[in-house]
Amino acid sequence: MSTLHLVRQSAFATNDFAQCLNVVNQNDAIVLMDDGCYNVNHTLINNLLKQVGDNINLVASHAKARAIEANKMIKLIEMADVVTLTFIHSKVITWQ
Amino acid sequence: MHSQAQNTLPNTSKKVNNEAGLAIINSKAPYSSHYGKDALDVALIFGSYEQKVSLFFQGDGVHQLIAKQDTSLLSIKDYLKTFAAFEFYDIEHVYACQQSLLTRKLEPSFHITDVQVLSTTEFSAALNHINMYCGFKT
Repeated sequence: MSTLHLVRQSAFATNDFAQCLNVVNQNDAIVLMDDGCYNVNHTLINNLLKQVGDNINLVASHAKARAIEANKMIKLIEMADVVTLTFIHSKVITWQ
Repeated sequence: MHSQAQNTLPNTSKKVNNEAGLAIINSKAPYSSHYGKDALDVALIFGSYEQKVSLFFQGDGVHQLIAKQDTSLLSIKDYLKTFAAFEFYDIEHVYACQQSLLTRKLEPSFHITDVQVLSTTEFSAALNHINMYCGFKT
């Protein structure tokens, strides 16, 4: 049992990302999309890297549109990969 | 729109707008809501009626000023491009909050010129010199 977390809000503006971190499990995967892309520059991303390691994904087009460059630990994916991820994990939680 | 009593704070070292006019506060990221576009429209309307307008960017609003964004990837209209028209509307006072940039690890590299980066104290002083404000932030 693992969960896919879709993070769509900026942690600088809302509490959603912090709440996501509270419930995230070791086998879960995170997708940063829309304003969630801003979170790669938030201090909480380091806590998340400790919790799920290399299971953090960033939607490349959303990040590029916002002039955001990702840390090497974060995987760049496309929307088609998000669909694949929803099939791999048994549950999906959207944080928005 | 709210009105605020004019405050007599000391002048800051940087060039800030000391005249009465309208302050527009932007504190939302550019693409996930309509606030940024609405603020721009209000600024241009006031500008076209030769009203003094000052723009304040703080919080996630500073993302509206950052260079090298590409909305074509999101299939939405790039309203940020219109920021380049500010000088034609005599909108000369565009302020960015330094603390907001630092918190977001953003370099002060903007897609328009003449953005003034102000410290928290200078930012609040500049805002307090203006007696009307319009917030695009809830």
